[in-house]
Amino acid sequence: MSATAFPEVLPGIKPDHQTGSASEHEAGYVVICWDDPVNLMHYVTHVFQVVFGWERKRAEKHMLEVHHDGKSVLTRESLEKAEFYVHQLQKYTLNATLERAGK
Amino acid sequence: MKLLRHVGGKFELALAPEEKGLLLYLLNLYPLVPASYHRLTKDKKLPQREENQQLLDEALAAQREQNKKAILTFVNEPGRFTEADGASTVACTRGELEWLLQVVNDVRVGSWLAMGSPGYETKKKVRPDKDALRHAMFMELAGAFEMFFLGIVNGDVTPENEE
Repeated sequence: MSATAFPEVLPGIKPDHQTGSASEHEAGYVVICWDDPVNLMHYVTHVFQVVFGWERKRAEKHMLEVHHDGKSVLTRESLEKAEFYVHQLQKYTLNATLERAGK
Repeated sequence: MKLLRHVGGKFELALAPEEKGLLLYLLNLYPLVPASYHRLTKDKKLPQREENQQLLDEALAAQREQNKKAILTFVNEPGRFTEADGASTVACTRGELEWLLQVVNDVRVGSWLAMGSPGYETKKKVRPDKDALRHAMFMELAGAFEMFFLGIVNGDVTPENEE
């Protein structure tokens, strides 16, 4: 990802406490964001905040995972919900896919 | 580009004539990312992979059509841009800025793809021909607008005229 400064806060976004836990959803699919050299770091953080309703710190953590590790597992969901999140992320032109959990 | 004020749920932006021209030019390039770019999964054995990929393609195609219509409205809506003192003023809601971010980032990513995705997996270099330079310019311009819009929606840009 291209480097940019980070936003302090993202007003008007409610945190979504439902994402990220397999036991809550009996979820068999993970949503992964993959690194690319074109999406700006600042932009990726923003998109994570908008799509998942995360606070900036959590969004930044995942953005940095993408940047340093080449990918980040964003959430674990049912197939239908994972498809929804992939669509949301791709709407913003992020490089996101869903994969079966445990692979 | 400046944020003049944030009032009544709208962000009032001032653009120099050149900036307005560049923004409209970038908006007219949309969409640049090929429809086949987005893949639902890397897993070739995912159940109902083709059907689900098709559903995703349809959803993204519908989104692109919606964005194209919204661009036409944004560009042609009477009173959207007002000209005064050698600058254009345009008022946008947070939702419109979110939408502009999506559109402008499509142009950024699409320009990068048109250059051959430099820096991604393959080590091939960009040929410095006219097309590549054009796309490099679009990519950088789109990035500059993105940073401006992000600064506004994140509250990092202070309005010049607080009310």
